[in-house]
Amino acid sequence: MAKAYSAGVKEYRETYWMPEYTPKDTDILACFKITPQDGVPREEVAAAVAAESSTGTWTTVWTDLLTDLDYYKGRAYAIEDVPGDDTCFYAFVAYPIDLFEEGSVVNVLTSLVGNVFGFKALRALRLEDIRFPVAYVMTCNGPPQGIQVERDIMNKYGRPLLGCTIKPKLGLSAKNYGRACYEGLRGGLDFTKDDENVNSQPFMRWKHRFDFVMEAILKAEAETGERKGHYLNVTAPTSDEMMRRAEYAKEIGAPIIMHDYLTGGLSANTQLAKWCQDNGMLLHIHRAMHAVLDRNPHHGIHFRVLTKILRLSGGDHLHSGTVVGKLEGDRDATLGWIDTMRDSYIKEDRSRGLFFDQDWGSMPGVIPVASGGIHVWHMPALVNIFGDDSVLQFGGGTLGHPWGNAAGAAANRVAVEACVEARNQGRELEKEGKDILTAAAKHSPELGAAMETWKEIKFEFDTVDKLDVSHK
Amino acid sequence: MANKPDKYVGINDDVLGGMTTIGKVIRDAWVFGIIPETETCKNWNIAGINALLDKVNTEWDKYGCLVSHLPPELAKRHQRIHGAALIKAKQAGWSGELETEDEK
Repeated sequence: MAKAYSAGVKEYRETYWMPEYTPKDTDILACFKITPQDGVPREEVAAAVAAESSTGTWTTVWTDLLTDLDYYKGRAYAIEDVPGDDTCFYAFVAYPIDLFEEGSVVNVLTSLVGNVFGFKALRALRLEDIRFPVAYVMTCNGPPQGIQVERDIMNKYGRPLLGCTIKPKLGLSAKNYGRACYEGLRGGLDFTKDDENVNSQPFMRWKHRFDFVMEAILKAEAETGERKGHYLNVTAPTSDEMMRRAEYAKEIGAPIIMHDYLTGGLSANTQLAKWCQDNGMLLHIHRAMHAVLDRNPHHGIHFRVLTKILRLSGGDHLHSGTVVGKLEGDRDATLGWIDTMRDSYIKEDRSRGLFFDQDWGSMPGVIPVASGGIHVWHMPALVNIFGDDSVLQFGGGTLGHPWGNAAGAAANRVAVEACVEARNQGRELEKEGKDILTAAAKHSPELGAAMETWKEIKFEFDTVDKLDVSHK
Repeated sequence: MANKPDKYVGINDDVLGGMTTIGKVIRDAWVFGIIPETETCKNWNIAGINALLDKVNTEWDKYGCLVSHLPPELAKRHQRIHGAALIKAKQAGWSGELETEDEK
């Protein structure tokens, strides 16, 4: 049996539990899901979380007298049951805005998910949501361009954008990789994408890849008359090297680059996003490593927090989950964080996992990217769920087409345009999806073959991280 | 480390009934008449396959890489060759699901 937790000289709740406190408009608010050690009162452990994520780590007896702790401290102001789970509870903590450096999500996270997560009084701790006051939002740079500017740059309106991750095949040569990009773009995609773990390995150095991919973009643009892009992954071992790759991408005329914001780090991401804004570049963000942080329902950081952090740090696209594919993602919860990415004001809505109102002021939105395990048969649902301001990213659903990459791309392009047309005519996409696609396939053999290839596939995996309201 | 094969096994002995990147290149080469349909490319090295890919790409470029842009005769040929390949691959256990399995 675990050794019982015993508090220090002074109980935390005497200082940090303030149920009478009314949060200010300028406070940063956090909702934690706390699983306490046995026998520790809820108020005490909530207060301990407030303390250890704010001024608690500053405290030694005599310095308390030198610092205005009463002003800077986090205040645990409310506690709620978690529906369907008696092992844990929600604690709401308010932090004064001046506790954090302006424009630094790094500083916010270092406090809120720092040492407190290893605190003895806790068995597990999860940061469920944060409310950033608009006063803090305005200190952050945010997305480099935003949704409308991206549409203007790419000259694409009124439909979801289409993408595809290129898997290095055929001996991993940069030339063949570039060819695969060209075929995808020529077939009808708007974007192709580097795999997140393709950086600059010995089998394909970054510059070689960038050159061949840019050649592919220019060729596809010339032949289709459309603007095209490829997310050139500039993630690198150091931020200096990352910037060198970004500069080269700009020099050769690439419209968009890519960064792995969690593995690459938030300082590097914020730096890159600012540079993109200054240089008219779009920034695609991959979330590799997110499941380490967000998958455990009792410990870690919920993805809705990671989306807010990214919007503040900066990115024009962010992978969001698909709802209908085979990867993790409860529909209501996913819709909650998709709105958090795109909208300027999001109301608290527990049915979608949103614990606070969030006002983004005039900060531009981030385009959600649905990616992973999706194909043409998912298109009606994807268009319905994600709407126009999204990137639908078909990897295997493009490259796996039995006729090749261009055919896969064409199938997806015809399918998305058919779905958008049907939606605009007022038809119900998810009900009539089969009829809509079948009609479109009459004039697209590529779509017909794709429907033949994937029609038997069903994804019926249950999600691990369900909304708390649906546990019971 | 296991020895890496330096010769292609041939489309008839390829995995997944030939529904592979190289298999698709060979079938397109048959469609465009670059190699006869009896040529399986067995024992070709990677340079040979790459050279074949270049020739196939040159042909596809004439039609914007799209089957729907092929002239009727080539489209018919494409339908015959790729249609048979799809049936064979499915019989060998290939499905579209395999193509999306490793995605993140």
